[in-house]
Amino acid sequence: MKHLFLSLCLCVSVFLLSCSSRPDNPTLVSQLPAIYPDYIGVTIPADIAPLNFNFSDEAIDRMDVIVKGDKGGELHVNGEWADFDIDEWHALTEQNQGGKLTVTVCTEKDGQWTQYKDFDIFVSEARLDDWGLTYRRIKPGYEVGGDIGIYQRELGSFDEYAIITESVVPGRCFNCHTANRTNPNRLTMQMRGEGGGTMIQKDGHQTWVETKTDSTKAAGSYSYWHPQGDYVALAVNSVHQAFFTGTGQRIEVYHTFSNVEVLDTRTNELILSPLLQTDDLEIFPAFSHDGRWLYYSTSKPCRVPAEYEKVKCSLCRIAFDAEKGVFGETVDTLLNGPATDKSYVLARPSYDGRWLMYCTSSRGNFPVSQNDADLWLMDLKTGESRELKELNTPQSESYHNWSENSRWFVFSSKREDGMYTKLYLATIDEQGRISKPFLLPQRNPKKFYREMMDAYNCPDFTKTKVSLDAHETYRQVFENKREHVKIR
Amino acid sequence: MKTGMAKYWKIGLSVLVGIGMFLFWYVVYPHALSYQEQYQLFLWTWDYLLERLSLPGGFADWLGEFIVQFFYLEWLGALSLALLFVALQRLTARLLPESWLLLSVVPVALLWWLMGDINVLLSLPVAVVLALALVCVRVRRSWSWADVLILPAAYWLIGPAVWLYAVIRVLQLGWKHLWSAGWLLALQLMAYAWLLPQWPLQMAMTGLSYYRIPLHYPQWNGYDKDMYELIRLDYLVRKERWDDIVKRASEYQVKTPFWSNCVNLALAEKRLLADRMFDFYQSGEDALVMPRVRDLTSMLPSAETFWHLGMVNSAQRYMFDTQESILNGRKSGRCTKRIAECMLVNGHYQTAAKQIALLKKSLFYCGWASEAEQMMGDEAKINAHPVYGKLRRLRYKDNFLYSYDEMDKMLGLLFQNNPENKMALDYFMGQMLLKGNVQGFVQFMGWVQQYGGYRQMPLGYQDAMRCIQSQGKVQGSPYANYVKRMTERRHP
Repeated sequence: MKHLFLSLCLCVSVFLLSCSSRPDNPTLVSQLPAIYPDYIGVTIPADIAPLNFNFSDEAIDRMDVIVKGDKGGELHVNGEWADFDIDEWHALTEQNQGGKLTVTVCTEKDGQWTQYKDFDIFVSEARLDDWGLTYRRIKPGYEVGGDIGIYQRELGSFDEYAIITESVVPGRCFNCHTANRTNPNRLTMQMRGEGGGTMIQKDGHQTWVETKTDSTKAAGSYSYWHPQGDYVALAVNSVHQAFFTGTGQRIEVYHTFSNVEVLDTRTNELILSPLLQTDDLEIFPAFSHDGRWLYYSTSKPCRVPAEYEKVKCSLCRIAFDAEKGVFGETVDTLLNGPATDKSYVLARPSYDGRWLMYCTSSRGNFPVSQNDADLWLMDLKTGESRELKELNTPQSESYHNWSENSRWFVFSSKREDGMYTKLYLATIDEQGRISKPFLLPQRNPKKFYREMMDAYNCPDFTKTKVSLDAHETYRQVFENKREHVKIR
Repeated sequence: MKTGMAKYWKIGLSVLVGIGMFLFWYVVYPHALSYQEQYQLFLWTWDYLLERLSLPGGFADWLGEFIVQFFYLEWLGALSLALLFVALQRLTARLLPESWLLLSVVPVALLWWLMGDINVLLSLPVAVVLALALVCVRVRRSWSWADVLILPAAYWLIGPAVWLYAVIRVLQLGWKHLWSAGWLLALQLMAYAWLLPQWPLQMAMTGLSYYRIPLHYPQWNGYDKDMYELIRLDYLVRKERWDDIVKRASEYQVKTPFWSNCVNLALAEKRLLADRMFDFYQSGEDALVMPRVRDLTSMLPSAETFWHLGMVNSAQRYMFDTQESILNGRKSGRCTKRIAECMLVNGHYQTAAKQIALLKKSLFYCGWASEAEQMMGDEAKINAHPVYGKLRRLRYKDNFLYSYDEMDKMLGLLFQNNPENKMALDYFMGQMLLKGNVQGFVQFMGWVQQYGGYRQMPLGYQDAMRCIQSQGKVQGSPYANYVKRMTERRHP
């Protein structure tokens, strides 16, 4: 019986081995392999999930991939696509931190193996240090949100977890989830429409606040935590969409009004400034790394949607005193939209105070819908800005955020198809040099991204896994219990 | 002899149920089948099955969707439903004493009546049938402890309909077996607490996939005549059976913008809009095209209208928003196909490829998807296509912002864009009449004469002109009646 079992095992092993053919006298070609995603020459953190990839030509029978580290270590996979073991991948990247991995790709088609030119993947000295990413997934539709959800993804693996999905709060639109500098012990989220409100979660305790008052025009939306963890800056606005008849850009998103305010989450008091409550449209607030400044964008009011091309945002800042909870009395204009015929929005200062990343487009205050939205970087030491040509494409780049150590950033881009935003990560060094961005890795990327019918938006790093009791969210939303705010 | 008669009676009753159900769905309510089919897209993949099985009731849900995909062909859908109801009747009959055989049609009748609620999903009858089938397995009395294992497995596969099994078992085995009900309740609570973090308690207890609208429950309203009439018209629009719509509209009307949209589209397709538009009920300015409504049905006729007119972007938008309004988060085969078509016409091949890849995994859309895949990127092929090529010629050449409030101008520009687009001309003139823009109507009558292709001025326009000239004082004028009705609505 024992012999029979061993013989069976042997037969199965031989059969399996015979199925996985290896490169045998491959034809060498001098071109780089056409792989998806394009991971050729990218820079990655050691603690990222394996950069699995497929061959672009689906007609191949097999791939054989060898990854060698210049500081040692080797990985070898053979199959339909390059599918690396997570632990083995991490062992290799850890060993080669600060070095590079050289990837040799062979493909088999009709019994003939082809070996392509090797390419490198650089492993940065800078680690990610964050647990993962949070983001919203939504169909890239029009005026109906549909089956949306806020998710978190562990960056060291391919695991994704729901934070809150439509199923627990049916028919509600939620977004603008924001943690404090990647730390989810401070978390805010907005729900629009009927039963809407602003969720404030501090150290695991969830409360829902009605931020609309008689003195403010609407409930809060786009938000940003003060680094101290007690204040949240909110844009208060009314967002709408208009639709094009041509075959280029589909949607023009516009706001009919917008102001900026700060909520003191200890007292539920709103702190207003006449400089941020004007007839102009103040939008997308973000505190500086030390909390002494509040960046935001502002544009002159115009008759939207008819005059959508006239929406030009300037990038401004105003002082904020967290001790007293008061704003400064002057506004600095850092980038003048009307003067340069551009629109500057979504200011995101790095948490080390070194850089300010923002979106530039020809118009508008909602860059994800603008095809020409690009990322720019301001050196906060010199005040000089430059376009991040290393990562911009003719399609929209937007929704950027920094990792906690400010050495990595995530952004969304429509570069692949102009509609379904995907997430890319890149690193920045002391001199402000940007690496080639890489698409968020997936187990079987081609299958995953082809079948993914959602667009990613509002990505942010998260230091630890977010803990949100969705059952409690359901109770609070449907019981409509809201704490009301006062004006300070 | 008596046993033989009883046997024939048993079979006869089942045959009767089967034939009755088949005829009902195939002859009387085929549109109800189309309605259900268009709000799902069953995929023949393991991922799809596993996704369904990841939730309680997932197997019943999957099986329900599996059956509903066959509703694409009305006869096959009716046959599937008939078989399901026969199974229900037979299983019920097995559980009843022989003399109560006739009562076995009661659950059939109840479920049939319940299915009149358009949001009841087939997973509910399927789950009921599976629960009864489980009872019929007849686990021996001495093995009643087996329910400790059967209940969690059954709950996960068919959902809370397993209560039917639990209750019948208690009735069969006596009150000592009541512990199983407590066990089932505990199972549901445990599932809610640990396995369903993204679902409300209410749904964990009553089912995640029996009803299309979360946190709502089936209504005992049966088959509402007007609602099913609208569903019928939408079905006829989907099948492009324009003559049937016009015929049906002459027999019965439902005074809603949805009805007007369907009828006007059919009239336009038959080139009767200019002649007969006001012979039928017109709901107002929204009678040709409705504004956006957040539900899964209302925008469909308008989306089809946009498509036939050549307003491709608007057709895509309405279809997309319709699909996203399906509150149980399912895809729609009908909407996905149309979205893919819009993308093909607009040359957005990469995004079209996504939709097409999805459709290729279905049974009834994969044929079209394979054909469409061959066209992707082949401009000459698309330009030569009878529908897509025509729409490319009809669609807007200029890029500007859509405005529902200025629909007449939108339609006028569409016509100006390509004077061959006679449907746009009819809609343009019709929209001005609906809006009461008589100056515009009179001003652009020249377009009708020059481009309309009519031998004489259409009867509807003659009537409207008479009405305008006599300031509405024309006896029996359909347009005058419309104007009067609108005036009364504005100033009651």
